[in-house]
Amino acid sequence: MTVSFDQLKAGDGIDGPRFAVSRESIRLFCDGSLDYNPLHLDDEYMKGNFGKTNFGGIIMHGMNNFGLLTRMLTDWATPPSAIHRRLETRWLKPVRPGDTIQPTGIIKSKQVTTKSRWVLIDVMVKNQNGEQVAIGEAMVEFPVATAAA
Amino acid sequence: MAQASSAQSADFETDFWKDATSRKVWDEIVPGEPRKTLPYKLTQEAIALFCKAVGETNPLYLDEAAAKAGPYGGLVAPPSIHILLMFACTPTDDWMRSPGTVNAGQSWSYNIPARPGDTITLQARALDKFIRRERLFVVHDNVFFNQHGDVICSGRGQTIRPM
Repeated sequence: MTVSFDQLKAGDGIDGPRFAVSRESIRLFCDGSLDYNPLHLDDEYMKGNFGKTNFGGIIMHGMNNFGLLTRMLTDWATPPSAIHRRLETRWLKPVRPGDTIQPTGIIKSKQVTTKSRWVLIDVMVKNQNGEQVAIGEAMVEFPVATAAA
Repeated sequence: MAQASSAQSADFETDFWKDATSRKVWDEIVPGEPRKTLPYKLTQEAIALFCKAVGETNPLYLDEAAAKAGPYGGLVAPPSIHILLMFACTPTDDWMRSPGTVNAGQSWSYNIPARPGDTITLQARALDKFIRRERLFVVHDNVFFNQHGDVICSGRGQTIRPM
């Protein structure tokens, strides 16, 4: 169902796409993003320590979370002619091959400005155990309809 | 070493160890100093491959006829295309490519979409650096432009530097 600015209210939810993470999906993200950091490729390298962190194996790109959140937001915003304007994210846990992750959003508030209308959304990505792997916030603009024909 | 998929720039160096010793470590990164960047021609093939990697199916990015009838009058890239543009516009000796660089979070604002055929340029710098809980952080800020000088998007991120 297409949402409208007037009907939206705080607490409304947005469901994003489930995404199965595998060595192949991570490799494909390397090719799609040109990010070939060995964090995502090299099992031997990942046995080592990173400062105080040991990941224990290759991990998914944090920006894969970002890409899935973007996909959720743009798919949600496109039908009502709204525009995805901002996304801020923080990673909480590494994601590994075999995990299944899903982005979701919850409408936090609405704001009318001098020239437009905005919806603020709390976003998160959870893994198959219900653990948050990424959190953040987004802004989607619902432009005021210009003189309709 | 693995070659980048042909959908991406064919001469992209996928071995991030190459030139690793010529990259700046945390101590040498000067906040405020512009980073050297490379212009990048964004192709529909590169957009399609990026879309595949995150499972994008929105016709605005992939279906020329539907995109033509849509709000942008033609195909566009998803907003998150800056994930690709960041590396596409970064030379091999840049610290952003240092193996073990850990992304700690990002924030991006979107102005207009990138389109296939655009020649993208990046203005970027380290903005700040700090130490927290024995980890070395660098804040980087970035603005992507199209060939008309229009801002596509701007963003800021934090990385934890390899030690």
